Amino acid sequence: MTEESISEQDFAKFAEYFYRKTGIKFDSSKRYFVDKRLNERMRATDSDSFRHYFTLLRFQASGEELQHLTNLLTVNETYFMREDYQFRCLVDSVLPDIVQRHDRNKPIRIWCIPSSSGEEPYSIAMYLLEEWSGINDWDVEIIASDIDTQILDNARRGIYSERSVRGVPLAWKRRYFREVREGYQVVNDIRDAVEFTRVNLSESADVRRMRDIDVIFCRNLLIYFDDLSRKLAAEYMFEALRVGGYICLGHTESMGRISSLYSVRKFPAAIVYQRPLEAK
Amino acid sequence: MALLKRKKASITKSVTKTKDCSQLRALLIADSAQDRRCAARDLIGCPHASTSLLEQLACEQETSVRQVILSSLTQIGDQPAVTGLVHCLRSEDVSLRNEAIEAMKHLPEAVAPIMANLLNDPDPDVRIFSVNILESLCHPAVETWLIDVIRDDKHVNVCATAVDLLGEVGSPAALTELNNLKQRFGDEPYIQFTADLAIRRIQGG
Amino acid sequence: MKNILIIDDASTVRLYHRNILEASGYEVDEATNGVEALEKALSGQFDLFIVDINMPKMNGYEFLQNLRKENITQSPAVMVSTEAADLDHDQAFYSGANLYLVKPIKPLQLMTYVRLLMGEESA
Repeated sequence: MTEESISEQDFAKFAEYFYRKTGIKFDSSKRYFVDKRLNERMRATDSDSFRHYFTLLRFQASGEELQHLTNLLTVNETYFMREDYQFRCLVDSVLPDIVQRHDRNKPIRIWCIPSSSGEEPYSIAMYLLEEWSGINDWDVEIIASDIDTQILDNARRGIYSERSVRGVPLAWKRRYFREVREGYQVVNDIRDAVEFTRVNLSESADVRRMRDIDVIFCRNLLIYFDDLSRKLAAEYMFEALRVGGYICLGHTESMGRISSLYSVRKFPAAIVYQRPLEAK
Repeated sequence: MALLKRKKASITKSVTKTKDCSQLRALLIADSAQDRRCAARDLIGCPHASTSLLEQLACEQETSVRQVILSSLTQIGDQPAVTGLVHCLRSEDVSLRNEAIEAMKHLPEAVAPIMANLLNDPDPDVRIFSVNILESLCHPAVETWLIDVIRDDKHVNVCATAVDLLGEVGSPAALTELNNLKQRFGDEPYIQFTADLAIRRIQGG
Repeated sequence: MKNILIIDDASTVRLYHRNILEASGYEVDEATNGVEALEKALSGQFDLFIVDINMPKMNGYEFLQNLRKENITQSPAVMVSTEAADLDHDQAFYSGANLYLVKPIKPLQLMTYVRLLMGEESA
């Protein structure tokens, strides 16, 4: 089949629609990347024109095609210290705010969803030990969840490639990893600090087990949900958070497109969302 | 103090005991917003849930509870739920109106049969909101409805809203009425602008 | 150069306003609802806001109330709506709007008020 050409007008329509649905913006400088993937999906869905494909994308009741396309258009590579400005925000702004009203006798609870293969929760553990002086005064629990039990097993093993640990400062690498045959393994102290558990964020009953969370990292997951599931997930997480608790989303994601339950908080390193302190 | 070692106990294993429907209805008017949210979420499986939820929605002041009620109504999506949502479109409360619009976008099958009526409502605001619903309504008749609006509706803002959307979903079938509309509102720069844009986009695709 | 933030969920309306304002030499940024607009207002400097009332997630009133309550900026705000009811008019000012315009808006009308609100020479 020949490569279907996508007109400038069609691209504009598509980019606008995709932005509204996912919050991800493509300008015409990304055309090669986007067109290639659009063409791939047009072939896979037997669409003989862009118009045909766009109609399918918009009006398909299951939203399946939009998910396929989103998967293709987002590069979801996880590695240590990814988007670490949010960890900076955690130690510089979020935790200092939380400890002001936190019960001394209770641990601070941080929840990562999706856990994926574990890079994010382990990065947070290292960041807290290295960059947050409060760790001397407070207990912290880190919980990491994923829908995929296979990936949780991998995360518990904690073995990573050279590529995955490339962002880790050398001194930290020495302290928190040991070299093994397959690459680098996170040391036991750090692995023991993260509890891995299976949670499906679309299941209210699953999320209900999570309570009194102070900070949720939910990065680059909600873009794969349809509008309603995304809104419901935001509502479930609201219940999981303590009053005044925070949620960090991925850098292309905005709670503003999902739900109005949360307040926006601007800190020097990042914008995060807060379950409001006083009842609205 | 330090990072705590993992221990299974940190996650609540005790599954909340399922409450029966009458308990949930009582909880829906409880003093605590958290209880009300919880009831609004769990009522979904109960008989006549929509009616109870709509009753509470009418007097609920807490935004977070209203959001959960609306999400539950969307998930139920039966006829009483839709009728209640239509009623919200007439509310003077902007938030409630917009939340109802968002909810109705997710209910194509329940909304489609009443769409023609909504688009002919005497109140132009309700007609605008109905066009807003069409924006994300997954239904094959969306373009036909929009073409009817720009052919027949007398209100400039109702037509403007419909043209905005035709620029995205319109096909060559809309071209004649787009050109007629430009004639009909010859002295409205916004109509000229949005209709020209829609025409260009349709012809360019 | 002066910065204006257009807040409207309809992309065509944003484009229409953008064209008019850019033709007069203003810098323009856009947001599709109140929460997105607040995020932008928190991270950038704007000299004027053009705010639609009916938007999903956070409507125009709520946006302005937050903007003023949190003391993010006192820059003027023009509220635009499809409705002409007095009630909305009052609520707009109560929320912190400086001007209320009913759609559809004509380019000259928009520019006259924008210049006036920014303390520039009136047209």
